[in-house]
Amino acid sequence: MTVAVLDAREHNTVFLGDDRYFVLEDEGRLFLVHDKCPHRGGPLSLGRRTPDDKRVVCPWHGSRITCAYLRKTSVPMVRRGTEITAYLPNGNGAHPVFLAKRRILANYEGVEQ
Amino acid sequence: MAVAEARARRAAPLDDLVAEYASHRLFRNAPDVHVLGNPYRRPLNAETIGEIDFSRPIREDQFSSYGSLTANRILLNFYESESILLPAAGLATQRKDFDAFYADDLRETALALRPELERYAFAFLDDSVDVAGTWTPELLEQHFLRIVEEADSTVTPGLQAIRELAEPRDGADMLLIQLALDGLTEASAMARNLGGSYGPEQSELFKIFIDEFGAGVFEAKHSTIFEKLIASRGLKTDVHAYWHFYLTGSIAIINYFNYLTDDHRRFFRYAGALTFAEWTFAKFFTDLATILRELFGDAVDTHYCDEHGHIDLHHGRMTFENLLLGLARKHGDEVIPELVRGVEEIRLLARLTDEEFIRQIRWADELPRYAEEARRLDDPAGAVVETAQVEPGHPFATRTFDEATVVSVAAGEVDLLVGGENPAFPLREGDSILVPAGCLHGLRAKTHAEWSRSTAEA
Repeated sequence: MTVAVLDAREHNTVFLGDDRYFVLEDEGRLFLVHDKCPHRGGPLSLGRRTPDDKRVVCPWHGSRITCAYLRKTSVPMVRRGTEITAYLPNGNGAHPVFLAKRRILANYEGVEQ
Repeated sequence: MAVAEARARRAAPLDDLVAEYASHRLFRNAPDVHVLGNPYRRPLNAETIGEIDFSRPIREDQFSSYGSLTANRILLNFYESESILLPAAGLATQRKDFDAFYADDLRETALALRPELERYAFAFLDDSVDVAGTWTPELLEQHFLRIVEEADSTVTPGLQAIRELAEPRDGADMLLIQLALDGLTEASAMARNLGGSYGPEQSELFKIFIDEFGAGVFEAKHSTIFEKLIASRGLKTDVHAYWHFYLTGSIAIINYFNYLTDDHRRFFRYAGALTFAEWTFAKFFTDLATILRELFGDAVDTHYCDEHGHIDLHHGRMTFENLLLGLARKHGDEVIPELVRGVEEIRLLARLTDEEFIRQIRWADELPRYAEEARRLDDPAGAVVETAQVEPGHPFATRTFDEATVVSVAAGEVDLLVGGENPAFPLREGDSILVPAGCLHGLRAKTHAEWSRSTAEA
């Protein structure tokens, strides 16, 4: 496990080695999600939310991944105020953690069902 | 009480029920600054309670608001009316108050009000703390050890702040007064979780409870040795003698544990919160003993702090290994987020409480500067919110303001009281004082006096 601590106002993306995680907003809660579509590994953070707000559409092959699935498979984390402490399942501290703020399209509606 | 009447009571508007409760004779304000010899008298400021809209839960940044203070005072009454309190000097003169404190009418109102007031006081935790993802016992262990290592690596800011005061002894006494809220009725909330049947974890909790109660020896009971500590400082040992001077956070933390233990669906949050508290107590009380000895030398009886500094090393380990991890391993991943949530909620409450304490003791330590500041702000004054005429012997009340406020005395003389034993700060005709938002204080008339308060507009 590798620990990442971020302020949700400042950062929404975590890089660890070759892996990337992003903060998904869903039903008023925040989840740290592996930025990798379960279909062929597409960048889900660049996908758009369906109008019913329940799925993210992968920009590579159009797979519609439910938010329920992303929540269920999200990284274990605790949020206290805007501070997020997350435990990334890989690295064991071998790689440095990098934080960034990017535009997370998956938090925006934009695709017709 | 008839069922129909109880239902009607629950259907009554919230603010009306609160007003009805606060106007009960036990909760009326009296001239006394300290409440002595009677654990049932708990002034609730019925005169000003109408300012508060209890239908809108507080936000985290309103933790020290007047509404939060008042809701927590009332909740403390509810919870403590479910335990047995008897005056140390005997019940002879307080029998009527005893009967009234535990009577059906107050109990029914409490039942009707409690869910709403708990929501008002604690719903902000739902926004402030969230736990997501799939947790394992191993991860819980890693997370817990990480945050307690962080907590154990520094002196609590509130203790450090005492050292930095011009009058650190006043700050230390104020802290002891805050601790008295729990110290004199220690582990009452824990008692609610001793019953039932939940395996070895239950026995672990019971061992801790036994320690808190001195293994049945009254002289060794933690509340008994706490009494000796505050007596050695010349502080009053009656339960809630310092009712007027408990800060919101001090009450909220006690209430939080009662809130968790009162509803057994919150048991796992309780286990998390208790484990963090027990673990961090050892360091806190060791540091407190050091400060008390620095300030008061051998005159202070630190046995209580030394006992906690020692036994809570064990309690921290016991709750961590056998309660927290025991529950996580036995009941699986599903309960771990709740265990983590309890840990994080008490961390948050402890931080808010410490920040509030620091704000209060720094203000109390620098009243002349705040009087000077008020003179600078007072001309022209902000909007006048309230004016009052008071006489010696009028009921005494303490409160906080939700925004920085200037209190000005137009005639006569009052004493400003900002701590249970802090020296009174006199305010005479023409004097003003700036009261920062969330700072607890009370005014006591020394002569016929007129005062007003206005918002402090810089």
